[in-house]
Amino acid sequence: MIEAIRNQARLLLENGDVDVVIGYAEGSDPSRTTPIFIRKAEDVEKLIYDPRCINSLPLYLNKRHEYTRKGWKKTAIIGKGCDIRAIVQLIAENQLKRDEIYILGVPCEGVVSHPEKWDGSLHDGNRASKCIGCDVMTPHETDFFPGDKPDVDRSTPYEATSKNVATLMELELDKRFAFWRTDFDRCFKCYACREVCPHCSCNTCITDETTPSWIDPAAHKKGVFSWHLTRAMHLVGRCTGCGECTRACPMGIQVDLFNQRMKEVVQESYSYKPGYSLEDKHPLITYKVDDREDFIK
Amino acid sequence: MGKKIEIHDFEPKIMAFVCKWCTYSGADLAGTSRMDYSPNVRMIRLPCSGRIDPQFMIKAFEQGADGVFISGCHPGDCHYNEGNYYARRRNTTFRQLMDFHGIDIERIEFSWISAAEAIKWTEVIDAFTEKVRELGRHPQYDDEVVDPYAQFLVQNKQESA
Repeated sequence: MIEAIRNQARLLLENGDVDVVIGYAEGSDPSRTTPIFIRKAEDVEKLIYDPRCINSLPLYLNKRHEYTRKGWKKTAIIGKGCDIRAIVQLIAENQLKRDEIYILGVPCEGVVSHPEKWDGSLHDGNRASKCIGCDVMTPHETDFFPGDKPDVDRSTPYEATSKNVATLMELELDKRFAFWRTDFDRCFKCYACREVCPHCSCNTCITDETTPSWIDPAAHKKGVFSWHLTRAMHLVGRCTGCGECTRACPMGIQVDLFNQRMKEVVQESYSYKPGYSLEDKHPLITYKVDDREDFIK
Repeated sequence: MGKKIEIHDFEPKIMAFVCKWCTYSGADLAGTSRMDYSPNVRMIRLPCSGRIDPQFMIKAFEQGADGVFISGCHPGDCHYNEGNYYARRRNTTFRQLMDFHGIDIERIEFSWISAAEAIKWTEVIDAFTEKVRELGRHPQYDDEVVDPYAQFLVQNKQESA
């Protein structure tokens, strides 16, 4: 499989069809892989793909990063299904044009939840929670795919991939508040969850604004709460569920539970699944006259 | 007119974010008509209900508000044609977010009030104040350290200092 990808990448680079190929390469130790930017055809042998490749590469396509301003006309990117969802969402939000991107799709059987848990094989003990019930193991939007692409039914409603969402929803209200209070107590505002998010695309994040300072920059619980709520609200209907925020959190806070819950809400209220259509408008920038208003007095 | 003044143990703080074309004028009409309504409400006038960023509501709760009231023109009456439709969608999701976070969504009230509905304004505000008073104080984000690992860090810091 990876041979076909390497050959295609070599072809693209030799013909000058793309300026750079973004993919995965061997990392600093055997359990890790690292993102790699390949600009010379002879380097394509460095490309690998296996369940250790957990990083979300569409992050580098986000305009917030400098990469897109380096004069690269066209970028090829290796994408597993969930990353391609993020790319599609970026295109739908006009962050990216479809013809600037060449997507090398890979068939994916799931990735590990954390590099430390890699023991040579992928099993239920170390599989990432997002991979359970995944419907894009065969990617949906590709320019190149090794082998045949079977038809997959992707019309099924989104289900929260983490059991913790359902568990939390069953709890009493004050228990849920207590859970978040304990969890957010650990947050010291490193903003890793923002830095790895492929959809956080503001040039100046609202937490970095100082006039006025909407979110208290101190790692006090007030500021922590408002940061996580704001972050979740900004990602309503946009989060494609790559789960990178939780993986990147150095304190092990499950910050993506908010996003998973909001995905359910958006699906229920507006039957919108982010990351599957290049044209559909984000649910909060459009409206219908007969939207539900059962909560309005 | 004039209601009997009651004394309560707890007076809730209520923030109201209102649209200047409908609800603010409605509240103004209530005032100029000398109607009584609960004094617990603190109003902020905004150009449109579509201007009400969820950030405002988050900030209000963070700063110790016990309830948040949002109001604008009836659907179809928006001065900017469609602002209240966006507000409606945004609040549908925001309420669910607050619910998942553990804040009672009874503390957030959304209502359509036009410039002529001064009586509705007084009724809605009185009922909402009463509801929030029963719910009691909003859980505060106090400084107490609850996480065991964070406690360990704080203690170590104190001992080494």
